[in-house]
Amino acid sequence: MDLRNLSVCQAAEDIHNGEYTAHDLIEKTLENGSLLNESLNIFIHQAGVDALEQAKAIDLRIEKGEKLPLAGIPVAVKDDICYGVLPTTFGSGGFSDFYSPYTATAVERLMEAGAIVVGKTNLDNMSLGSSTTSSPKGATINPWDNSRAAGSAGAVAVITGAAMVALESDSGGALRQGASSCGVAGLRPTGGLVSRHGLNLHSSSFGQIGVTALTGKNIDAVIQVIAGYDQYDASTLISKDESILEVEPVAIENLKIGFPQSLIEGLEPEFKAICQETINLFKEQGFEISDISLKMLPEALRAYYVIAQAEASSNHARFDGIRFGSASEADNLEELYLKSRSNILGREGRQRSIYGTYLLNKGNFDLYYRQALKVWNLVRREFGLALTGCELLLMPVVKNLPPLLSEGKDLISSWEEDIFCAPVSLSGLPALSFPAGMIGELPAGLQLVGPPFSEKTLTTVSDIVVRNKQLFPHGKA
Amino acid sequence: MEYEVVIGLEVHVELMTESKLFCPCPNHFVPEPNVHTCPVCLGFPGAFPRLNSEAVQQALTASLALNCDIALSSYFDRKNYFYPDMPKGYQISQYYEPIGSNGHLTIEDDHGSIKKIRIGRVHMEEDAGKLVHAAGGNGSKVDYNRAGVPLVEIVTEPDLRSPGESRRYLEQLKSILQYAGVSDCKMEEGSLRCDANISLRPKGSETFGSKTELKNMNSFKAVEKSLEHEIQRQSDVLKSGEEVISQTLRWEEDKQETIVMRSKLEAHDYRCFTDPELSPLVLTAEAVEKARATLPEMAEARAARFKSGYNLPEYDAGVLTASRCLADYFEACLESYNNPKEVSNWIMGELLARLNAAGLEADQSSFLPEHLAELLQMIDENLISGKIGKEVLEKAFESGQSPRTVVEEEGLLQISDQGELEEIVDKVVAANPDSVEKYRVGTTKVIGFLVGQVMKETKGKANPKLVNELLLKKLKQV
Repeated sequence: MDLRNLSVCQAAEDIHNGEYTAHDLIEKTLENGSLLNESLNIFIHQAGVDALEQAKAIDLRIEKGEKLPLAGIPVAVKDDICYGVLPTTFGSGGFSDFYSPYTATAVERLMEAGAIVVGKTNLDNMSLGSSTTSSPKGATINPWDNSRAAGSAGAVAVITGAAMVALESDSGGALRQGASSCGVAGLRPTGGLVSRHGLNLHSSSFGQIGVTALTGKNIDAVIQVIAGYDQYDASTLISKDESILEVEPVAIENLKIGFPQSLIEGLEPEFKAICQETINLFKEQGFEISDISLKMLPEALRAYYVIAQAEASSNHARFDGIRFGSASEADNLEELYLKSRSNILGREGRQRSIYGTYLLNKGNFDLYYRQALKVWNLVRREFGLALTGCELLLMPVVKNLPPLLSEGKDLISSWEEDIFCAPVSLSGLPALSFPAGMIGELPAGLQLVGPPFSEKTLTTVSDIVVRNKQLFPHGKA
Repeated sequence: MEYEVVIGLEVHVELMTESKLFCPCPNHFVPEPNVHTCPVCLGFPGAFPRLNSEAVQQALTASLALNCDIALSSYFDRKNYFYPDMPKGYQISQYYEPIGSNGHLTIEDDHGSIKKIRIGRVHMEEDAGKLVHAAGGNGSKVDYNRAGVPLVEIVTEPDLRSPGESRRYLEQLKSILQYAGVSDCKMEEGSLRCDANISLRPKGSETFGSKTELKNMNSFKAVEKSLEHEIQRQSDVLKSGEEVISQTLRWEEDKQETIVMRSKLEAHDYRCFTDPELSPLVLTAEAVEKARATLPEMAEARAARFKSGYNLPEYDAGVLTASRCLADYFEACLESYNNPKEVSNWIMGELLARLNAAGLEADQSSFLPEHLAELLQMIDENLISGKIGKEVLEKAFESGQSPRTVVEEEGLLQISDQGELEEIVDKVVAANPDSVEKYRVGTTKVIGFLVGQVMKETKGKANPKLVNELLLKKLKQV
């Protein structure tokens, strides 16, 4: 079997039909993963024996006539999502031997549907970033260009056949940017569609669990399983109405897609060209492309960082080496806190805790935090307004290629890279990053944004492009 | 110069819910540490709070019972502070928009007139864990059983003018919350905690003097004492021409004095912001009206009902409704023994004496309402006398056994056997010729003495009515 030409539904069907077993599929996937892990640094922990045993159990259930929608599907899970079987590191040096007492709801639902976790993927320290360069295990290497960061290890797992789908987190755009850098599809779902229970959030307002896969169709198969109300996450109350999960056949003829023309004026020519190619492809499909205005993006980006840092300073207070995270050696309590927190949070985590604390202080609260909340409201309104004249929005994901591993990391410019992704996070709307073309040796994606619960439309429309553009890296991968 | 005392109280009350405020862990005391905990109340990464609707209902009831305006939409905020008693590093509270505001209750002031004490706010929050410090600075341990237990904080306006008013406010507040069925308000057990803000100002002045905050009082009496102490201290400071320093003081019960905990200048900036992991608490106007309509009966209404419904004297009704659990005890007893005045007499007399001596509330005693009913029944059925009844109550109260068991085990059953009693009566009459003689010449009160002698012979177990009858009969024959 070639994982690259195999859809999630096809694989599950093949396993039910006895074409091959879940064990075969998992063995093959683990083999791919082990081979690539050394050179690309994808996994923090691989499941190995556990995964094979789970596969055997799935095969037994299939033999007994059970129907499992994701039977034997190998899933990579970002290591900020708790999975009780393997250690959960949150990408932090202070959590090298932490086993979560529970498993995230999204992972549990996947497993109930027959999917098998093949490993926990690499990530930035405390998920703060979209390059993986701050991981204590080192950056995940981009399979297309080994001198560059991959952005997301889950995306690498998917494009290299070390997993068929990946569960990932997205706050300011890590999932979508990683998908773009690796040439796969990545969905950030509508806020409240997928339970976040078990996700270590640095930003409670914006962190979401999403799905990365080769195609929108594969993403869809996973979303069907993990979406919906979860008693452990009150934010999913919005999707308590089961009918939002119904798979409507999406009518995509005469679709109107809004594109913020003025936004791409400042982009590099190669990025502009990719936008143009995709627009042309959509026009060929009979879609209508209209110019829309999104003026709030710069303010939205700043509001995102104000709110996210304020929240990080509060969410990360518990990581002190005593309550959570390993304790560093110290002569007294104060020193223990300082050293442990430095080790656990990493450089960016420390900065965010300091900035966040500053932003919430009495004198600054109204100046920054409250203003940011107002901007958040305006951004939501602007996206809502933009979607009154069209069904979907087409937007860039990034404005630069993924960073060279040799580059020093400049915090502010890495934040500026979120200019197209973070504002969408503020909108609460679903967004799907899909491979839209190549810039030299590297893939680059665009994102489609739709109204709440339009995931099925997003995956269907993006697959039109994916069918035309899907490429795989060669060489080291 | 004469000074006026200005006091405001902040009271924390534990709600009587089944489970904690944001997780399903049980909300009741256990001595073993950290057993009522889960990923949510321990603050594990990825475990999120889920609001307990029973706690909301009780906070709503408390707010309504305290005559508050109800916010149809209120929020939960994070109060950030770095201390090990909160697993998350912050406490979830209602800082910006409390569920109840602009309430009041009434008390008697020091001159016996009715006075309204304004309540600025009633808000919900979660309790913190408990730190246990080992002796000799040898480390600290933390018990998170209490972390996440639902509280309401009730804050007065600075309307109280004396330690006595403050105590009466607390008593009134306790009665209201007990009647509302939202808390047992046991200060000694920590289910009611009180901090006091106090300042002095020249009589007639409109502006407030600088205030101090008193903490660590664990009884209403301690609140009163600590305020008296602090008034004395502040007025001494002012009279010596110095200024009162704004600071937090800790009441030391053993020494009956305050010590400085921290200066107000070190006050925390809690960096409060609305918790992004909880939705706004939205109440419908209908839900509020329903809660208002179904508010439990308060002390005054219950006393009035006891008077008119059970034909009790005003005094009895007042004593029985002094606490909700006593009033509940009374009515529970009536369910199996329907003689209100008799039950009232026994509760006000024997039972309260025992409860007070043991330092217990009516709902803490193992002598249950059905036990009292059983006891009164036995007296009615002439199985025991009233006098023996008191003895049985005492023994049952101590041992936790039912009155019937006590009577059987101690052999206290009343002697109502006519033959058996006649023999004893004969014996007593024969042994007391003087008294018999006195009776014959018309001194009828000696009959009391003779009854007493029979009782003595039977160790109090003789049926007094029967003894009386038999004695009279016998004396007439002699």
